[in-house]
Amino acid sequence: MKINNTQIVDTYAEAFSMWSAKVIITAENDYWAEGAARAMTGMATSVIGCKCEAGIDMKLTPEETPDGRPGYSILLFTMDQKSLAKRLIERIGQCVMTCPTTACFSGYDTKETVNVGGALRYFGDGYQIGKKIQDKRYWRIPVFDGEFIIQENFGVKESVGGGNFYILGDNVKNCLDACYDAVKVMKRVENVIMPFPKGVVRSGSKVGSKYKDLVASTNHIYCPTIKGVIKDSAVPDNVHTCYEIVVDGADESAVSEAMKVGMHAAAKDGVVQITAGNFGGKLGKYKFFLKDLI
Amino acid sequence: MKLKLYTQPEVPLEAECITPGVINKLKPKEVEKLKIYHGNRERDLGDFFKVTNGKSDILEVEGDMHKIKYLGANMSCGEMQIEGDVGAHLGSAISGGFIKINGNAADWIAPEMTGGRIHITGNGGHCIASAYRGASKGVTGGEIIIEGNVKNELGHAMAGSTMVVGGKCGDFTGVNMISGTILTFGEMGIRTGAGMKRGSIICMNNIEVLPTFSYDCMYTPIYLKLLFKYIKGNTKIKIDEKFFSGSFHRWSGDAIEMNRGELLVYAA
Repeated sequence: MKINNTQIVDTYAEAFSMWSAKVIITAENDYWAEGAARAMTGMATSVIGCKCEAGIDMKLTPEETPDGRPGYSILLFTMDQKSLAKRLIERIGQCVMTCPTTACFSGYDTKETVNVGGALRYFGDGYQIGKKIQDKRYWRIPVFDGEFIIQENFGVKESVGGGNFYILGDNVKNCLDACYDAVKVMKRVENVIMPFPKGVVRSGSKVGSKYKDLVASTNHIYCPTIKGVIKDSAVPDNVHTCYEIVVDGADESAVSEAMKVGMHAAAKDGVVQITAGNFGGKLGKYKFFLKDLI
Repeated sequence: MKLKLYTQPEVPLEAECITPGVINKLKPKEVEKLKIYHGNRERDLGDFFKVTNGKSDILEVEGDMHKIKYLGANMSCGEMQIEGDVGAHLGSAISGGFIKINGNAADWIAPEMTGGRIHITGNGGHCIASAYRGASKGVTGGEIIIEGNVKNELGHAMAGSTMVVGGKCGDFTGVNMISGTILTFGEMGIRTGAGMKRGSIICMNNIEVLPTFSYDCMYTPIYLKLLFKYIKGNTKIKIDEKFFSGSFHRWSGDAIEMNRGELLVYAA
């Protein structure tokens, strides 16, 4: 299988189940909305070390937000529903409530919810005011520039984490160019995030390690520098650089769409092969077969 | 089901049974046999209303019903569309569902309301969503939107509902209010929020603030943007764009009570 001159390996990307919430952050203008969005999604690349994965999903126009102000939608993923509530309370409390002029709303309208605003309201020290519009309750917490508005309950849903594909190139520049083009088009897909720096991972991991306390370690078969010393290297002869693009999505279709457009954008001169992280079922229940996506 | 008034009652008619929960379970002939009170005498509903099968689950009621009380009383589900004016005690003790009135409503709308929605396109009378005399608490939930004017004592001792008035309000709006929200777009009468414990009264026109309220600040409440957007999307009340981004004066009161209520008055 090929796209242009790039070989597409007949394998699948193994992904796993996560819980996600969509958070809408609005502010007086884009400067402050972006500031809160970036703070809230900071240090949230992988559940392995960050307790959650988070990223900016979309930039929203005033017409697309609940309060008619500029905003951002953020996706935040954790391994279970309970920890999702904790991470939302921590991150909204520390990164959004603290940012001038912001307000915070749920982006999902799901049956299952977690209580976020209902917990953060106690910051109001008794001066908070609850307000209901139709079936939604909001909390008005007094702060230095007026009030921080937050929805009481945030919708949550079971989602997909760890969708991925690997880009194997003949040098760093060509490989990075391919990654850049791939992430650029993937960002246009709604309900997905690429949680790593600029959407790209150079330290792709495998499940487990020779060291018993580690749950993950470098996926050594894609490390070019040790190709000569390992027997199971997956790095082809004419490949000198590998990168991974990880994609978390609200559902399987969003992840599939992002992987599809990403692979097509990445398949260009200098990219020898596109493959995926396949761990033989050790990682999770979702399988995204590359041949089906292209 | 569709009910059309064909005989105007000589004295007020009490028709508590006209709710979707009661009517929609019955056949037209059974509906005609439902009992209603004409003054102090029991009569069949069919003596006043022509009953026909409607096209949907919505209960449609039509006619000049200014003498008919308790329409939609104790309603807990379903939808009721009323074409014409209605009498007092509409939606009394309503706990769910939706009543839309394309017309005017009389006094004492929705006393003891705990949930549901009422939307009146015309004017309302006195004591809308008010506590009955002697009751410590009035309505505790739900939403009432009146596109026109209302008279005195809107939301007396209300505790948790949302009221929106597109036009003028009489005196004592939100008197003894315990919690909830009153949003008004027209001129206000005197003594707005007198004795309020908590809750919010939001006025787009200047008001005479009682001396027992203390001035806090001028700011832009983001919550109002949500409320305005909702009102704009669901009613014909005209909301000037300037209100969305405008500043509001905030007063806290009433100091003779808990002093935890707020008056938000549009500034500029």
